[in-house]
Amino acid sequence: MRRPRAVTLPALYPRRALVVGSVLALALGPVALAPAPDPTPTPSATTPAGDRGAQLYLEQCASCHGVRGQGSQQGPSLVGVGPAAVDFQLSTGRMPVSREVSQARRREPVFSADDISALVDHVASFGGGGPRIPRVASGDVVSGRDLFAANCAPCHGAAGSGAVLTNGWSAPPLYDASATQVAEAVRVGPGLMPAFPGQVLTDQQVDDLTSYVRRLRTERLDPGGNPLGRLGPLAEGLLAWLAVLVLLVAGVRWLGRRAAE
Amino acid sequence: MIMDRLARALDDRLRLSPVTRRALAKVFPDHWSFMLGELALYSFVALILTGVYLTFFFDASSADRVYQGSYAPLDGSTTSAAYASVVRLSWDVRAGLLIRQTHHWASLVFLAAIVLHLARIFFTGAFRKPRELNWLIGVTMLTLALANGFTGYSMPDDLLSGLGLRIITSVVESIPLVGTWLAALALGGEFPSDAMIPRMFVTHVLLVPAVLVALISLHLGILVRQKHTQFPGPGRTEHNVVGSRLWPSYTLRSLALFAWVLAVLFALGGLAQINPVWLYGPFEPAQSTSPAQPDWYVAWGDGALRLFPPWEFRIGGYLVPAPFFPGVVLGGLAFLALYLWPFAERLRTRDRRQHHLLDRPRDHPVRIGVGVAALTFFAVLVVAAGDDVLARLLGVPVYDLLYLFRILVLALPILTGAVAFLTARALRRGEAASLGDLTRADLRRAGRPSRRPSRRDDEPETPAPDRPGERIELWPEGEVWRWRYRDEARRLVLTANRVAVSEEEAVEAARLAYPGVDRVVVPGPPAPSPPGPVRAALRRWGRAAAAGSLLVAALVERRRDRRRQRDGDEGDPREKADAAPRGGEPR
Ligand code: HEC
Ligand code: HEC
Ligand code: HEM
Repeated sequence: MRRPRAVTLPALYPRRALVVGSVLALALGPVALAPAPDPTPTPSATTPAGDRGAQLYLEQCASCHGVRGQGSQQGPSLVGVGPAAVDFQLSTGRMPVSREVSQARRREPVFSADDISALVDHVASFGGGGPRIPRVASGDVVSGRDLFAANCAPCHGAAGSGAVLTNGWSAPPLYDASATQVAEAVRVGPGLMPAFPGQVLTDQQVDDLTSYVRRLRTERLDPGGNPLGRLGPLAEGLLAWLAVLVLLVAGVRWLGRRAAE
Repeated sequence: MIMDRLARALDDRLRLSPVTRRALAKVFPDHWSFMLGELALYSFVALILTGVYLTFFFDASSADRVYQGSYAPLDGSTTSAAYASVVRLSWDVRAGLLIRQTHHWASLVFLAAIVLHLARIFFTGAFRKPRELNWLIGVTMLTLALANGFTGYSMPDDLLSGLGLRIITSVVESIPLVGTWLAALALGGEFPSDAMIPRMFVTHVLLVPAVLVALISLHLGILVRQKHTQFPGPGRTEHNVVGSRLWPSYTLRSLALFAWVLAVLFALGGLAQINPVWLYGPFEPAQSTSPAQPDWYVAWGDGALRLFPPWEFRIGGYLVPAPFFPGVVLGGLAFLALYLWPFAERLRTRDRRQHHLLDRPRDHPVRIGVGVAALTFFAVLVVAAGDDVLARLLGVPVYDLLYLFRILVLALPILTGAVAFLTARALRRGEAASLGDLTRADLRRAGRPSRRPSRRDDEPETPAPDRPGERIELWPEGEVWRWRYRDEARRLVLTANRVAVSEEEAVEAARLAYPGVDRVVVPGPPAPSPPGPVRAALRRWGRAAAAGSLLVAALVERRRDRRRQRDGDEGDPREKADAAPRGGEPR
């Protein structure tokens, strides 16, 4: 089944969360630990795009990336990173980072869509080419699943729930990224993630991948009930022990107490 | 009516009634911890029930198979037949997912119940003579349950379980000299071999369950023969068992527990997703996924592999690979220690007597210290197997966690063991009745070395004769004799379940159970005290549950009938015995 791209993302598993009791909610808790969005609205663009981009860049980015994107002590060069990289970093709220952190986290984007495209244009004016913002069409989930298992599962986990890497880096869960962001990440390779250029994955394959990743986040892949954050066997073990102690042993004690009366 | 006739027909041919009458009068102690084993038993029953359903649909083969079904991302993919059948089971077979998930949850609960049951036996010293054999059977069943959990987990041939199987294979291969040969023998070739899944299947659904059923029967048979242990208490001696009778009180309680276990397991199976193999994908030797852990009951091994430094040894020219110590030696030593504990303890205490009264955990500070330390050790290892998940959720580097766990796994058991040891000693030496009552003085006293080994064990088992307020009352009831123990001071009345054919026999039984207590013959049975409201309600509720158990119902019907015939208008003696608060029987 093909799914059209959606821009607004419904919350993950709302119905199940309601159905399942507080015990299960406990196990789901970690999902809620994701970094909270930082609501910092910016004044929308009033000046022409070019000026707006240059102005925002000087205000927000130049201190780290240099006035002409040449890079500095605080940030890498932006020459030749390509519009896809800039759009990915800004639309996922990773840039601008306020202080030096080892890995910029995903959060609510700081800029409006217009400001982002103005900044993308401005950074592109530094030259150097680089990957363009991909246009995503819906693809084939079967091929997408294969590609995902072969290329992405070692870092992001087969269920897309994320995992730690070395040096305090982690591959984030893939449930929040929009279709364009997934395709951008594949092409750009942010942070520790490798880039997958056109010679490795064709545009069609990226579409397939994107469709599968987008599908991973739907509740329909969890027909079994609360997915426990898709954290795997140890989360399941925790719930099993909770059930044993809270429900079964308590039941046994109740029966024992009644009998002794 | 029909049941009645059927039961009588059966009895005429098989002579069941003496056996069943004795069996139905068997006494079970009322303490709740005696039902932990039943939790395990009933989870096992649930495993068999759900497992049989799975067997109808599971295809134990690694041959290529094209999955066609409603799980779109795999529709049309070629995978192993085993994997394809499990995805089909989950997405296309009616109730397949519910049963599959319930089976898996039941396996987690089964192992947890076994561990709890084992801890109860261990901390109360129920493994002491004469019950060493049942301890050995119990530990064997634990290993078999672990093995069956692991084979079951590996059979679906998904990516996660395949990674686990590969790790286990490398652990087995790390055994010096025979490892590679053993692994090849078990798998029928190099990992991943074609023979692997069919072999695991036969082991999982036939071999191990059959052995388990045999061992459970033996376990329970020995239990019936040796009778239950019991905690010390008023009226309870080394020579009797005080509690509820198998029928009706205990049967009803046990059936209620069975129903509750099934309800909890199916609720878990329906509400919480477990092992979504369709998301993990089929096993491909070249692929991997992260985070990867096994089920909790084998996770201690995974945790040990993660924590143990990658040291390799050279012993006599042979290179011992790194997984040998955390994988083989640790598990081997742990189970060896479990097997040998009753004998090691007997060696240390030189206590060769039979024990039917349990220790309270505090009675043996060393035992509780060692037990708590061991449990802590394995708990830390299990948590360490999730270091990568924890690292991501807590946002800390995984290496920091690894070092933390390396320290914890050594330090925490010592700490908890020492705390348990000292608390037990404080409770034993002081007057405190429970943990909450401990005073600082008690704790201080516990720290000092013991002046004289206080030997609770040597307390005289036979109560002093002629104790005031205690007596045995005997009375004739038709042809037979009955007796009961009575303690005025504690307002305790315990009626023996078994009838005696003569006065002498009743006296003999009473003397065995309560040596040294005065006996008097009274004209008739005392008036029954009315059952409390809760007890009455419980009994009513339990009776309703028992209606489903047709065979037992048949036995009772028949029994009542025959009694009525024999006893004439004497009434139903079962009712009388039932009305007494609790029953007892001599060993
Ligand atoms: C506090 C300093 C800082 C500020 C301010 C900042 N960045 Fe960055 N930026 C970094 C660092 C450090 C990295 C590399 C870290 C990483 O890879 O996650 C980076 C990475 C990037 C990348 C990816 C480079 C690549 O090679 O893929 C882009 C694109 C980017 N920044 C754009 C921006 C834009 C646009 C702004 C202004 C809105 C901005 N940054 C503001 C520090 C900064
Ligand atoms: C070497 C490990 C690695 C591999 C392989 C990898 N990724 Fe990533 N991925 C990462 C890391 C690390 C990040 C976070 C980058 C950052 O925060 O700057 C990331 C980020 C992402 C994001 C952004 C998530 C978000 O919500 O912001 C997406 C989408 C993504 N990856 C998709 C993929 C896909 C699709 C593949 C397979 C083609 C893949 N990744 C392969 C490591 C990996
Ligand atoms: C000691 C008792 C048992 C334990 C601990 C146990 C455990 C497991 C586990 C953990 C699985 C993996 C389930 C999954 O896919 O998520 C499994 C699968 C399976 N079990 Fe058992 N099981 C036991 C007894 C039985 C019995 C008695 C039968 C059959 C009569 C059985 C039949 C099966 C079948 C056919 C599968 C494969 C289907 C599947 O994976 O979904 N099991 N078992």
